[in-house]
Amino acid sequence: MSDPGRAGAVYDRGYRPYDGPLGGRPAARFALYRTSLRRAVGLRRPWRQKVAPAVLLAIAVIPAVINVGIGYVTRDTPAEGFEFITYREYVGVSSALLLFVALVGPDIVCPDRRQRVLPLIFARPLTGADYVLAKVGAIFTCVFAFSFLPQVVLFVGQMLVSDGALDYLGRHAAVLWQVPLAAAALALFYAVLGVAAASLTGRRMVAAATLLGITLVTSSVAGIIVETGSGGGAGHPAALLDLLSLPLQVRDLVFLGRLHEDSSLSGVTGGGAMAAACYLAVVAAGLAVMLHRYRSVEA
Amino acid sequence: MTPHDQSANGDPAFAAQASVEVRDASVWFGQKVALSELSCSFGPGVTGLLGPNGAGKSTLMRAMTGLIGVNTGAVRVAGRDPRTDRDVHRRIALVPEDEAVPARLTAHELVAYVADLHGVGELGAVDRALTSVDLLPVADRRLGGFSKGMRQRAKVAAALVTDPAVLVLDEPLNGADPIQRLALIELFRRLGSDGRTVIVSSHVLSEVERLADRVLVLINGRLAAAGNHRAIRDAMDDRPRHVLVRADDQRRLASALLGVDTVAGVSVTGAGLVVTTERAGDLAVALAPAARRLGVRLLEVRPLDDSLDSLFRELVR
Amino acid sequence: MASIVCARGLTKRYAGVTALDGVDLDLPAGRVGLVGANGAGKTTLFRLLLGLSRPDAGTVEVCGMAVSDDPAGVRSRIGYMPEHDCLPLDQSAADVVATFGELGGLPVRAARQRASEVLDLVGLDEARFRPVGGFSTGMRQRTKLAQAIVADPRLVLLDEPTAGLDPSGREEMLTLVDRLGSFGIAVVLATHLLDDVARVCDHVVMLDAGRLVTDAPTTSLLHQTGAVTVDVGPTGAVALAAALVARGLDVTTSDVGTIEVTVPGETELDIVRDVVADLGLPLHKLTNRLTSLDDVFAREAPPR
Repeated sequence: MSDPGRAGAVYDRGYRPYDGPLGGRPAARFALYRTSLRRAVGLRRPWRQKVAPAVLLAIAVIPAVINVGIGYVTRDTPAEGFEFITYREYVGVSSALLLFVALVGPDIVCPDRRQRVLPLIFARPLTGADYVLAKVGAIFTCVFAFSFLPQVVLFVGQMLVSDGALDYLGRHAAVLWQVPLAAAALALFYAVLGVAAASLTGRRMVAAATLLGITLVTSSVAGIIVETGSGGGAGHPAALLDLLSLPLQVRDLVFLGRLHEDSSLSGVTGGGAMAAACYLAVVAAGLAVMLHRYRSVEA
Repeated sequence: MTPHDQSANGDPAFAAQASVEVRDASVWFGQKVALSELSCSFGPGVTGLLGPNGAGKSTLMRAMTGLIGVNTGAVRVAGRDPRTDRDVHRRIALVPEDEAVPARLTAHELVAYVADLHGVGELGAVDRALTSVDLLPVADRRLGGFSKGMRQRAKVAAALVTDPAVLVLDEPLNGADPIQRLALIELFRRLGSDGRTVIVSSHVLSEVERLADRVLVLINGRLAAAGNHRAIRDAMDDRPRHVLVRADDQRRLASALLGVDTVAGVSVTGAGLVVTTERAGDLAVALAPAARRLGVRLLEVRPLDDSLDSLFRELVR
Repeated sequence: MASIVCARGLTKRYAGVTALDGVDLDLPAGRVGLVGANGAGKTTLFRLLLGLSRPDAGTVEVCGMAVSDDPAGVRSRIGYMPEHDCLPLDQSAADVVATFGELGGLPVRAARQRASEVLDLVGLDEARFRPVGGFSTGMRQRTKLAQAIVADPRLVLLDEPTAGLDPSGREEMLTLVDRLGSFGIAVVLATHLLDDVARVCDHVVMLDAGRLVTDAPTTSLLHQTGAVTVDVGPTGAVALAAALVARGLDVTTSDVGTIEVTVPGETELDIVRDVVADLGLPLHKLTNRLTSLDDVFAREAPPR
């Protein structure tokens, strides 16, 4: 007698167990980074959310295009390697970047708190540190890309427009490591500040205002003290208060090995070392704030 | 017999000695019609207000307490219009569903504040209100530290401080643990038997059965049914009833029951016989004599659609 | 059968309140109802199971793994459905569930596939492509349940899954929870509604003031009391009671018009049947009086 059970079988009663690979903590962390980055850049979101990154990219790339354009137009004139903008100067299109971080940083961080999504996120194989890493990483990636890609445009453009491409490459080889390093330092700074400010509150406007407020206020105050303290000429230690300038000082250290003459810190003994130290202190403080804010979540 | 059974003109949508009357009331918000020519009334005792989400229960409650006006028709509380007559606010109190209470206040402060708001000058009114909800021992603790059930009770106390004749409660048992639920049910029943008009909306039908003698069912802004839930079920005579009968000799009993005129069918299931009938009353009368005649022992007789749950399901279908 | 959750001496204190006090648990893999006064114990327990808090004393194991050894690893096996609103409002349900699948460690494609399947299971059809912000309570609850099971957990923790749902929604949610059990997913259902527990759970755990007061299969708690409830309609109740008393039975009349008769053996049932037939009364209901979970709760966790 044949086995009646083989004549028909039910395969799917509505739920299939999953027997594929499970990535665990590293996969979860990367997934959080990836989705945050997607949200920051406006992918899979309505057009309105794509405006900010697009505008920023445009602003960032325009000087490169202009420079290359002018270089091309004047290539036959005997002018020596005209440079409308130096690589050093090009790292740090400050206001546009700051606005971007103030807009997008809170956007990827605050709603998680406001809409009480955090308990769901932390019910995953993720820790508070993973969350911080992913969010900072996402903003870092954006800011770095927006600083670095235009540089690539500039460099390649200059190379092509100059008399000898390989010659140009040889003369400017140092730029190839200076630009990424300086851009990374800038991106890290902005990312940490932006996400730290956003971690303080669930309201995006408040976070943006906090970030802009802190940076602009410290900048103004430092500016005033420097002006009155040094009589307008040389630098003054109070310039260390100016948060926005710290990554620029670090940038100069990368490109020039010392502070730039025009920097508000010039002439201050040990200014370079102090600037680097302050930079690290701010980054460390930002990380501490974030780790504190995400250390314990109401389930 | 409760006053509800002796309504003015026999229509269970209307209560005897009505304190709240709704006449042809319609409310719309833009395109959405929240209430559609609703007519009903409420009187002393506890009335349950049922309906799917979005059926208009909250709208009706807000219209009764004057928080919103009706676009057509009228709502009257003790003969007065709650929208225009300030005096009405001392006679009818609403405990809304999800309103947050200020966490910094203590229970005592909250109730005292509401008392002041309504000009309740009487000493001891606050304490009496807190006692009736069993919060007097913790009256000086901040509401922020209360559990959800205790916050609900604080809100009820605040509503009671004006000694209202009508108390309207939107999902008052939300978030309360089982003990608090029983305590609140008992409280509302007591308030109802004291002669107050208590109107309660809830989604937990088994509790509404315990709480209310009379229910009104709203569906899509219209009154779908009213009255005692068993009577409503009987009134739905276009739908057959199902009764579970367990006996020690099911099949012989089944054959006998098929001989009863209004029995439409008998199913033999693992749990017993499921008898389908057009008139539950006829089956009930025939059951014991049939079993006795056959010498069959009846172990269980249970209407399968007697509860408010199944009634609701039938209405909403 | 191994316990899905095993706790010994579990203790947790917050700011002077002892939320859990030396609790021992052995929860079977199935559908477990968690009931407690004031909710403090259940939220704390969930946090301890998820490894989001460390106990002040005692140990807890989930799926055979000690939570304190590898909290993140334990979390990859647990799904959680919070009571409060917790979904990102500007994303579609499909996006949300797929994202949470990825956050649970699923590869991108698998996450999308499974998200689609679990959304089918919970009954969200075309609505899944609309933003969660526009969803009704029922749809949000279903989305929350979907994200809890998308990464194929061994255990799901459900916190008041029927809160805010109207009766039909509640019925559908309970049916879903029932089905989860049949798919081999262990469920811990924390709720204030004892009816939900009686309907869906095969095991009940009751906490009061941080202590365990009951930990037993549901059936063992709902036992027969040796009495039956008889309903012959309001008009006949008095006559029936009198006649039964005259035949030597112990009878009490309830305040809703039904009668309770003590039935030491089954022959007394025949007496009831005969008296009802003699009096020509309609026999609407004849049921065993069971203790309900309410009775158990009131007995074990009396109000202070």
